Amino acid sequence: MTRFGRRDENLPDLMAEAALAAMSDAGIERPDALVVAAMNPEEFTGEGNFGSLIATRLGLSTVPSVRVETATSSGVAAVYAAFAEISAGLHRSVLVVGGEKMTHLPTPRVSEIIGRSIDPHEKSYGTTMPALAGLITRAAMQRRGLGLREISQVAVKNHAHGARNPYAHFREPVALEAVMESRLVADPLRLFHCCPISDGGAALLLTAERRMVRIAGIGQGADSIAVRYRSDLTSFRATQAAAEAAYRMAGFGPARVDIAEIHDAFAPFELISLEDTGLVPPGKSGRATLDGETAIGGRLPVNTSGGLKARGHPLAATGISQLVELCWQLRGTAEGRQVSARVGLAQSIGGLATNNWVTLVEAVR
Amino acid sequence: MAERLRASRCPRCRRIVVPPASLCPDHPVKMEAAALPPLGEVVTFTTLHSPPEGFRAPLHIALVELEGGARLFCHGAATEGVKIGSRVSVEAVDSVFYFSNIGFADRARLFWRRAGARGERVAAIGKSVVKGVFNRRPRGQD
Repeated sequence: MTRFGRRDENLPDLMAEAALAAMSDAGIERPDALVVAAMNPEEFTGEGNFGSLIATRLGLSTVPSVRVETATSSGVAAVYAAFAEISAGLHRSVLVVGGEKMTHLPTPRVSEIIGRSIDPHEKSYGTTMPALAGLITRAAMQRRGLGLREISQVAVKNHAHGARNPYAHFREPVALEAVMESRLVADPLRLFHCCPISDGGAALLLTAERRMVRIAGIGQGADSIAVRYRSDLTSFRATQAAAEAAYRMAGFGPARVDIAEIHDAFAPFELISLEDTGLVPPGKSGRATLDGETAIGGRLPVNTSGGLKARGHPLAATGISQLVELCWQLRGTAEGRQVSARVGLAQSIGGLATNNWVTLVEAVR
Repeated sequence: MAERLRASRCPRCRRIVVPPASLCPDHPVKMEAAALPPLGEVVTFTTLHSPPEGFRAPLHIALVELEGGARLFCHGAATEGVKIGSRVSVEAVDSVFYFSNIGFADRARLFWRRAGARGERVAAIGKSVVKGVFNRRPRGQD
């Protein structure tokens, strides 16, 4: 993967940087197929026919490619498509590459483009992703008894992790007071509870051969794009269904998971997601975070990469970058932030939890 | 009292949604026209401090659950005094929903008007008062 952050390169160059690194790491110069993920290059950078564009940029112009999109979880959707292609015996090796380039645009324009993943009726009320997250956060604070302190500690922890990751967008720690006193974005959600706008690319090479890390399980879960159609706001049905499917495929449960990458686009989502995936018992995620259980050195390190909060969130690169981090951790090459782990879980949220994924990866002995 | 709100009901699962939709969100079945009283409870709310283009800050948005279970997005003039579980009335102006907080007296009047027999009326007012007191405490509601 590339370093995430404000990057001067164009999107195909960022994706090529990530793809070439993954191909060289795998020792495969020409994969059988290519799955490309970008959430909205048409609007962000004006690029179309994206699969072929990236294949050609990579010197793989005659390798068949498809582009996959499921809003902010597009990266893992591409991994799922590649996994299915290999499982079906269509190909032996598939390169997955995702990326987004956004920082060249003004923030309101970026928010508007990302906001198109919201139900049109709800969007007509001025709801943005932070607005929907604010609505969910207030409900979660009331119903789950989450406090501002627990929510803010997620951001503090992930910034501390990001400071140890050379690929992260933000490499400076933040103090709890700074998070709790940052300006209100969508009451009760504050600025430092929200992930940044980042550029970057990430890639994985999936192969039918036996390698150091394998995908043990992968599952998708869905929910209505209209938040008003949901009866429960304080847990995400799409994550729960995805986790169930992934655990079923893997043949083991959350007790085997040593490390997790969680979609903390908004800090309270990490707490909600830890419970939705069964990694932390219901109602315990706030306490576990305050007690350092989810920090590097804790029982279950979560977002050793810095998460979306500090590593950054170049939309379609994010889901792939979570798996890259888990691969490095399982292979013992996560310099500066290495933990001891055999099984990792990645959870990715598409839109406002309309299209979520849970992936389980395991070190092969 | 404001007008009833246009809604639609699924003939199969009886689910009601606002505004009306052509197909049920849970089945590909055509929905039937329905109407709901414009009264509900606040499920959650937020104030947006940097709203998108075309909206003025601060933008107050609430998710309100109507009687019957349908939820809808609303704008409001303020969220002062609003809590999760607060009773609100909803009005549609140019197809945009607005919520406003209703006090004890309004609530009693509304129940009085809606209730039928005398016994029911008294029970309804009692319920309304109890609800008002109950709403001051945090509730496990979402």
